[in-house]
Amino acid sequence: MDSNNDDTLDIIITNVVATFRTRCHLNLRTIALEGTNVIYKPEVGKVLMKLRKPKITASIWSSGKIICTGATSEEEAKQGARRLARCLQKIGFKVRFSAFKVVNVLAVCSMPFAIHLVDFTKKNRPIASYEPELHPAATYRIKTIKATIQVFSTGSLTVTGPNVQNVATAVEQVYPLLFECKKPLCK
Amino acid sequence: MSTAGLKCPCCGSSSIVEDDHHAHRQMVCVDCGAVVSEGALTHDFFEGTDVSYSRTTAVSKKPCLNQIKGQQRLTALCRVLRVNAEVETLSSTYFAQAYEHESFLKVSLQKKENLAGCCVLVSCRQLNWPVTMGTIACLLEADIAILGAVYQEMMKVLKVEAPLVNVSDVMEAHCQEYKISSLDVHEDLAEDRKDLNKRALSLVELAADSWILTGRQPVPLMMATVYLAWQSLNPNHIRLKVSLEKFCLIAKVKKNRVAVKRVSEIKGVLCKLGKEIPWVTDPVTSDNVVKHVGDIVKNRYALLRSAMRSHEEAMRDSQEEEVNPSEADDQTPHATSENSEMAEQPREGNESNANQNPVPNWGKRMLFAPPCVIHPKRRRAALEGLKDVTGDEDISDGEIESYIRTPREAREFAVTQKAWLSQSEEAKCQ
Repeated sequence: MDSNNDDTLDIIITNVVATFRTRCHLNLRTIALEGTNVIYKPEVGKVLMKLRKPKITASIWSSGKIICTGATSEEEAKQGARRLARCLQKIGFKVRFSAFKVVNVLAVCSMPFAIHLVDFTKKNRPIASYEPELHPAATYRIKTIKATIQVFSTGSLTVTGPNVQNVATAVEQVYPLLFECKKPLCK
Repeated sequence: MSTAGLKCPCCGSSSIVEDDHHAHRQMVCVDCGAVVSEGALTHDFFEGTDVSYSRTTAVSKKPCLNQIKGQQRLTALCRVLRVNAEVETLSSTYFAQAYEHESFLKVSLQKKENLAGCCVLVSCRQLNWPVTMGTIACLLEADIAILGAVYQEMMKVLKVEAPLVNVSDVMEAHCQEYKISSLDVHEDLAEDRKDLNKRALSLVELAADSWILTGRQPVPLMMATVYLAWQSLNPNHIRLKVSLEKFCLIAKVKKNRVAVKRVSEIKGVLCKLGKEIPWVTDPVTSDNVVKHVGDIVKNRYALLRSAMRSHEEAMRDSQEEEVNPSEADDQTPHATSENSEMAEQPREGNESNANQNPVPNWGKRMLFAPPCVIHPKRRRAALEGLKDVTGDEDISDGEIESYIRTPREAREFAVTQKAWLSQSEEAKCQ
């Protein structure tokens, strides 16, 4: 997607989480009975509904709040959410699609070089933290854009942020810092 | 003595006497025994200072019982780890601070115990006392994941930072656990602790330089290096036959499953370096590399450089062969500049083609790279996402119909579900 050098880095969005409200009470039993591809979880108080196209799983609460996960782009998430609202409308509820918001975007990116995590953490403390006994990746949190980047020694990155633009910005910001830590400090 | 003027309200008699009931002053009628009047029981003092009751009875706030127990546990931990007084006081301060914070006030006792361990850990790290999280978890008999969560929360609450633990510092403490001195085991298997530590440290440094250490848990790697160091310090046939599991039994240490993988990874690196030793003529394999570990470790930097150089040459030759299979022989002097340009092109071609698989490509080109990159997992091809989706398209009825049951289907489903539920209830009763 975006580059700092001549090489292009592919940022692959793997998951987009979005929420919206239907502005009406939903009877979960009715949805579980009349909907296909649904799983009713009475102990938690929600219904899981899966759509085939786009491949989305939605958690439906009786208050009318719905969380959609599994989309691979913001537009796809919106399309899936609207499809779901139509579904509920057909079942018989007076649904109004409102307050749609993308809440979280998860993306992965791969650097074409290995990264020395100890050097990276030492150079970027306290923004970066690394505990090898707990997790094999170093965590880099950018407060301004509310993005979290997990940096693995193989060069893979996992980025989470509130939207796709922030995720891209986060990768751009962190790339030069990673490039510095390509080789171990000593030698 | 009788009192004049008073009359009994019951019988009207005027013979009233003072008859105290213990200390209570009472005037009693002699004839009927009725109490005519009595004095006040209490004496209200309005003298004295204007200090309220709560203030006079207040005591300075004492720590609660659980906090005292926590402090005692913390002190016990410090004694077991034999840390100095500075670490102990610092960890006590942190514990007192963190315990008062709302995040740790109403939590389980287990979490409070973990908090004590985390305070010790942070203080040790800040004052350069090498202790791993694994050691603390072992002493507290706690799950390291829960300990880790408490540790991170505590760092946030106290707003402190701790430097990273260097594996080399922890190595000495780790080596002490292994009981293989001449007092514990047979002469053939015994090893001096200092030599073992030194050799293991050099192997750890080698692992760090060849991407085996980064991102991995330190304990399995330390175990692997101690094992290899022990074998290589006296590579007689007895020691070479001993597997990692047996070694752990001999040294009375709990075996780590992951350490076996680390042993093979380190042996791989040692083989790559062993090939570069000029005086070794036999091929170096993982079976016979242990004999050469001493030499490899002594000259590791030179061997690393030599290995990188020969690898680069080999890569260049293989790319030349790809581009110019026949011409490379004829035009050797002229070809050096051309080939370097041509070598660039196929490399770039590789990179543009490798958009689908960039990771294994660059990993296979390097001599030393993280093992996950050299042996990448095969990933299933990702499903193609919907392209040109705006999110605001019209949604046809036909699509939505497929997600909704017809009334008949819904009825049948309800009946089946009822029948199934009643069956399962019967089965439960039986």
